[in-house]
Amino acid sequence: MTNSPAGPLAPFRVIDLTNELGQLAGRMLGDLGAEVIKVEPPGGDESRFIGPFRGDVVDPEQSLHWWTFNTNKLSATLDLTTLQGQELFTQLLDRADFLIETCPPDTAAALGLGRETVRSTHPALVHTSITPFGREGPYANWKATDLVGAAMGGLSSLCGAPGRPPIRPTASQGYAQASAQAVVGTLIAHYQRTKTGRGQHVDQSMQEAVTFTHDNAMPTWDIRGINNGRPGNGREIGGYKSGQYVFEAADGYVACLSYGGLFGLTARQTIEWLDHHGMAGDLASDEWLAKLDATQGLLLPPSGDDGEYLLEILRAFCRQLSRAQLVSEAQQIRNGWGIVNTPRDLLENEHLAARDYWVEIEHEEAHVTYPGPWAKLSKTPIAIRHRAPHIGEHNGYVYGNLLGLSDEEIALLSTDGII
Amino acid sequence: MTTQESDRMTDQVFAGIRVADFAWVGVGPLVSKYLADHGAEVIRIESSVRPEPLRRAPPFAHDTPGLDNSGYYADFNSSKQCVSLNLQHPDGVKIAKRIVEHCDIVTESFTPKAMRAWGMTYEDLCEVRPDLIMISMPMYGLTGPWSMWQGYGHVLQAAAGISHLTAYPGEEPIGTGVAYTDFLVPHFAAVALLAALDYRQRTGEGQNIDFGQMEAAIHATETMILDYTVNGREQQALGAGHPEHPIYGTWQCAARGDDDDRWIAITITNDTELAALAEVAGQASWTTLTPESLHSEIAAWTRTQQAEALMQRLQAVGVPAGVVQTPEDLRNDPQLAYRGHFWMLDHPTMGHRAYDGPSFRLSETPAELTKSAPLLGEDNEYVYKDIVGMSDEEYVEHLVSGAFD
Repeated sequence: MTNSPAGPLAPFRVIDLTNELGQLAGRMLGDLGAEVIKVEPPGGDESRFIGPFRGDVVDPEQSLHWWTFNTNKLSATLDLTTLQGQELFTQLLDRADFLIETCPPDTAAALGLGRETVRSTHPALVHTSITPFGREGPYANWKATDLVGAAMGGLSSLCGAPGRPPIRPTASQGYAQASAQAVVGTLIAHYQRTKTGRGQHVDQSMQEAVTFTHDNAMPTWDIRGINNGRPGNGREIGGYKSGQYVFEAADGYVACLSYGGLFGLTARQTIEWLDHHGMAGDLASDEWLAKLDATQGLLLPPSGDDGEYLLEILRAFCRQLSRAQLVSEAQQIRNGWGIVNTPRDLLENEHLAARDYWVEIEHEEAHVTYPGPWAKLSKTPIAIRHRAPHIGEHNGYVYGNLLGLSDEEIALLSTDGII
Repeated sequence: MTTQESDRMTDQVFAGIRVADFAWVGVGPLVSKYLADHGAEVIRIESSVRPEPLRRAPPFAHDTPGLDNSGYYADFNSSKQCVSLNLQHPDGVKIAKRIVEHCDIVTESFTPKAMRAWGMTYEDLCEVRPDLIMISMPMYGLTGPWSMWQGYGHVLQAAAGISHLTAYPGEEPIGTGVAYTDFLVPHFAAVALLAALDYRQRTGEGQNIDFGQMEAAIHATETMILDYTVNGREQQALGAGHPEHPIYGTWQCAARGDDDDRWIAITITNDTELAALAEVAGQASWTTLTPESLHSEIAAWTRTQQAEALMQRLQAVGVPAGVVQTPEDLRNDPQLAYRGHFWMLDHPTMGHRAYDGPSFRLSETPAELTKSAPLLGEDNEYVYKDIVGMSDEEYVEHLVSGAFD
């Protein structure tokens, strides 16, 4: 017995042949307890050269990108462009339950990773392909970075301000969406395998994964023939523009829920709250209360001079108070406001600390604080067990213990540049 | 049901799995949608007394608000059933527990006080269903000082740090224009749930999942956390840009008819792609320009180009580029059409409408959106009589007493 129970997927082994498009997928399976073997070319995976780096020194062992997405994985090096490398890879697949790869569709066949090939040699394997647009179809061989995925999937058309360039979150959401949704498909295929013993192919497209982030924009087009657009500081729901969302506080920003008019369903309580701080202006007057009663339950915020007047009052109010005070008082009157957290805010956040969210992972250089489990499973906990591997760190385990090669054979493979 | 249909139903992955879905708005319904679209019997438990908020949110079919007319609600609830049940009614909780007794999974996304007040925590529900898997998906988790805070995805993207990274450089953190985490964290929640289901399949044991939406969303901030904990640096938003690739952005294209809001994303990650871009533009000197100069050159050039045609030309020479597609564009996209992303389903009051299917294709057991979203209370008779086992008399009694409101 160990102190910490094993994760739910502890009995299973994953071969991870992904680049930045799909690295989160194997990471999630590893977090759930599966043994994930990242197969990288001799000399190291290309994603080891994605920054930022520890201390800003470019070094394949110090990439924070690599550390983030390869925690809980093992590393084995293998040159898949050689016949011998492909033979060893096949032997690895013989001992695996899952294969996740991001091979471009036009080179998959050459590497022996065609869907039918894998299905015929490894019928019990769940084989997941994550590609920019899917394994087949008119755009299958097109290239996409994260921004191209965000654009082609429709997310960027909903991000940014009118008349200004569409934007993306400066943390790759196309990659995150493709990876996380691929794991859903992978585990659905796995569940089917528990009933039939047969694996299958899971074809994940980044573009299509992003397509599912449109909120209500797809039905809005379908029903009303209107494209939700870039709302700037706000949001569009069903083709209607909502109120402003983000306000500057005394020490940063707060995010305010304003569905159903500027002050939402709790307009009266909100005015009382502003009045309590002596910041309601004349909003507590009968004239304004009558106006707000008349707009209660309406979707649209007040427009024109009234709308601008309300916004000015709210802006002035928010600037006076700290984020913590604004949000905790807003929550007391059931306004679903929140804090716009920066990275530092998150690390200093009392709520996450109270839930023991952060974990310390040992590296040779230092202990490093990582985000903790993304779900708390009561019997089979997710665990962030160990740091990302060095290049080929687990060659001995993978080729010796798993494939049964001798030390001499492993040394020869290394000399020949196969591993 | 034809033989063929009946074969397909039993072949579906989650045939025989039943879910009591108390969740509302985005996160919970999108988790159970995965199960429903792959064959689970998902029973939504809703009430007309306190309607599921999305049933009251636009767009409405025929521009007519109504609990059975919301396209927003419909898209997230394909292939599901729905009963009406007033949990505030004296018999409400008792009836809910009788449903749970026949379910493998319970999903919910209220703030934690709701299930506690009703006596329907995991521990309570295990008394009627010992091998239950329950997933609770409040914004901030089941415990901790913020656990009772309410909100929606537009606020949670801010709390999780995503809005901080979604802004024009140096400007206010506007975040995405969507309730973004509603379309991010359900995938994490579904993965946790599926792993627990696999574990139960092997061991017979259920469990409880405390899913704090914020804690999952932080895992989609790429290197934002480690850059701070290792280098002490707070990463900043770069508009459409990328920290390592200077030519990485969106540029305005020529108008298409009356529409002068057409944009293309062009991203250059190496010298080969830069040379290919220069060649398509017929500007060999572009390979030697500073990023600032090249940005304005590209802007002047794309403004004269049709976005779709330019995308085709750039992709033909291996430049990662793509139109900033609108919802209308997505419906006409040949790749999404090839993959069959959108499903057209008939709804009793909304008519023939589009639904999103899952974004992955399983080669042997693909998703099947078996029906449009349920009407409120559409499946009361089936669930209360055939599953729960109420007699006609008992059913009518509860109906009259308002338990099914």
